[in-house]
Amino acid sequence: MALDRKLAIIDLSTGKIETKVIPLDLRKKFLGGRALDAYLLYNHTKKGCDPLGPGNTLLISGGILTATCASATARTHFMAKSPLTGLLGSANMGGFFAPELAWAGFHHLVIKGKAKKPVYIYIHNGEIEIRDAAYLWGKTTTETQWAIREEMGDEEIKSCVIGPAGENLVTFANIMTGIKNAAGRTGMGCVMGSKNLKAVAVRGTMDVKIAHPVEALEFNKRFIEQITSAKVNQTQGVLGTPFIWGATNSWGGVRTRNFQYNQCEDSDDIEPERIDEICTETMGPHHMTGCFGCQVHCRAQYKIPSGLYAGKYDEGPEYTSLGAFGGEPDCKSAVTVLTGNHLVNQYGMDNLEIGSLIAWAMELYEKGILTSKQTDGLDLKFGNDEALLEMITRICYRKGWLADALADGGIPASEKIGKKSFDYLIQVKGMNNLHSDERGTPALALNSATASRGSDHLRSRPAIDLYHLPEKVLRRIYGNPVPYDGPLSSDHTEYKGKPWQVFWQENCYMAVDALGICKYHTVFLGATLPNFDDWPKVIYYNTGLEMTPQEIFEIAERSNMVERMFNLREGLTRDDLKKGDMLNHRYFDEPCRRGALDVVGAKIDKKKFMKMVDELYEFKGLDKKGIPKPETLKRLGLNKEPSHQL
Amino acid sequence: MTIDADKLSGAESLRATRSYGKIRCHNPTCMERMVPEPGAKHAKCPTCAMEYRIYWVNSTLPRVRGPVWEVNRKLAEEKLAKMGGK
Repeated sequence: MALDRKLAIIDLSTGKIETKVIPLDLRKKFLGGRALDAYLLYNHTKKGCDPLGPGNTLLISGGILTATCASATARTHFMAKSPLTGLLGSANMGGFFAPELAWAGFHHLVIKGKAKKPVYIYIHNGEIEIRDAAYLWGKTTTETQWAIREEMGDEEIKSCVIGPAGENLVTFANIMTGIKNAAGRTGMGCVMGSKNLKAVAVRGTMDVKIAHPVEALEFNKRFIEQITSAKVNQTQGVLGTPFIWGATNSWGGVRTRNFQYNQCEDSDDIEPERIDEICTETMGPHHMTGCFGCQVHCRAQYKIPSGLYAGKYDEGPEYTSLGAFGGEPDCKSAVTVLTGNHLVNQYGMDNLEIGSLIAWAMELYEKGILTSKQTDGLDLKFGNDEALLEMITRICYRKGWLADALADGGIPASEKIGKKSFDYLIQVKGMNNLHSDERGTPALALNSATASRGSDHLRSRPAIDLYHLPEKVLRRIYGNPVPYDGPLSSDHTEYKGKPWQVFWQENCYMAVDALGICKYHTVFLGATLPNFDDWPKVIYYNTGLEMTPQEIFEIAERSNMVERMFNLREGLTRDDLKKGDMLNHRYFDEPCRRGALDVVGAKIDKKKFMKMVDELYEFKGLDKKGIPKPETLKRLGLNKEPSHQL
Repeated sequence: MTIDADKLSGAESLRATRSYGKIRCHNPTCMERMVPEPGAKHAKCPTCAMEYRIYWVNSTLPRVRGPVWEVNRKLAEEKLAKMGGK
């Protein structure tokens, strides 16, 4: 049974390994994946623990549906206290790791302590061992995965690994599996590096028993039909996620030159259609591939067509690489985007964070806040492709004063640079914003400011707000499974009704992350994709667990609240620019200068924004300071946390 | 609870609202629906004068690739000039 998958507690300091059954009542409260990880993090870390110390706990998990007959249950989730933000660290990746972990007998790993020397964890059909990784240290992400396969003589082993960036404690180092699947945000690779943990490798051949297999497969056919017939997924299957950057850039919703412009003009060479041409030229017409059990196939394969890295194979680029190595630094070359994407994949670094940081440094250089002495002579101006690529390598290896400062993250770097540099840093809670510009979209601005892991598009963004859907359609989506009869507006420049949409999406995404499925299979980019109404059937047929849509919504609310409690415990305060639910002043003070006619001049009205935060807090059951009300904690069964049930 | 296998979910019932062969103007206060000729490379919004380059994902699925840059820049600069900005 999927519900039989166990939890393992692995202490790298002592070498002690314990396996435990996950109690059914905890499953019913949190399901699995990110939701149960939130509970485990709150219970297995102490207030104020050093993110890079042995007291931090790293969680790795699959969702409750992982490796069942449900579609796209490929997601692996990671959680720990973030070395980048000092708050919640959480990241999620596709690929094949989590299903293999489930076949090896486990849904959750709780990794504590710190190894004395480099190690990796090997898990095989219920057995766990800690192995020497001295020979892996220094290797890139793909070299590491192949070296483990070679050592163990099994090409089917799936590993999640860190690259040199994680070893060098770059605070936004990620965890990778395969060529480009990355748990990118909040520096989970840095946490692995701090524990001297190079990789977790798994191989499993243990069946996951399905509760009602015939019904599960029959229903999954409907699920697949619903997903593959959606226009958004048909587009993803051709252009991948770059299509989102292209569409957003079209109307003026992407950050360019840090935050000076909201559109990357004349960007034809980095538009998704051009990237697709290069993929076709270098890999042939069938260059799109996918993760475990997914029919969308949004991942492109390519070879770099020219330049220093000509001929190197890689996958992607995703939306974020177009922003990071195209729009933000104003480098309008496909080769640069594909090369930057390749470097961060090999080094194991968050493309979003590094692209934002380099663009920020470019603006500081343009304004004379950074000098050429501080850049070690590098001409760090916008549009300098060579300087951009050089900075990626320097940051990974902490070469030079500026790269070393940036490797610590934006806020620590701003403290070293000084001279009002912080004013130009586009971040929330210490993590840089996506390469989207939300000045014309109040709902998305609210989502960026209030997401639990720092500015983020995958935690509460009502992306369908941009589609101008009729109010009756919005009401059918956002009025279920919890009744809502407040305002909803088709106009994405509006402020009214948006807090409810953000609240609903926050719970939708948490549920998806607890199930272990991909967000392209729910109401993220497509309004007609499965959500709360559909999930009881998938859960029941696959696991036998009976749940109503309302119960799933409440599980999501509970899990989001635990993340909030963790953040509050670690110092979150509502209006704190470094640790709160607040946006950089430029959102309120500097109007958009490009884009569609009526985007020009747009900025966020601070008074209305603050009112939206108030309303969102009200929906979440928080007081005006953003602290959970006692009755909310009681309703969600969280008034006795930490409860140490596992 | 009882699982009703045949009942359509909210998402499934909303599928009937999907439209094909159309694009929307990206200007937020306009959002006019446009139906480009099959295979067309350009479209101009009849309401607000924005102009777009079109890409066809398949024969029934057009998407806006991006604006016509010169038109986009001209309209933005005119608007900024009216606002007294740059």
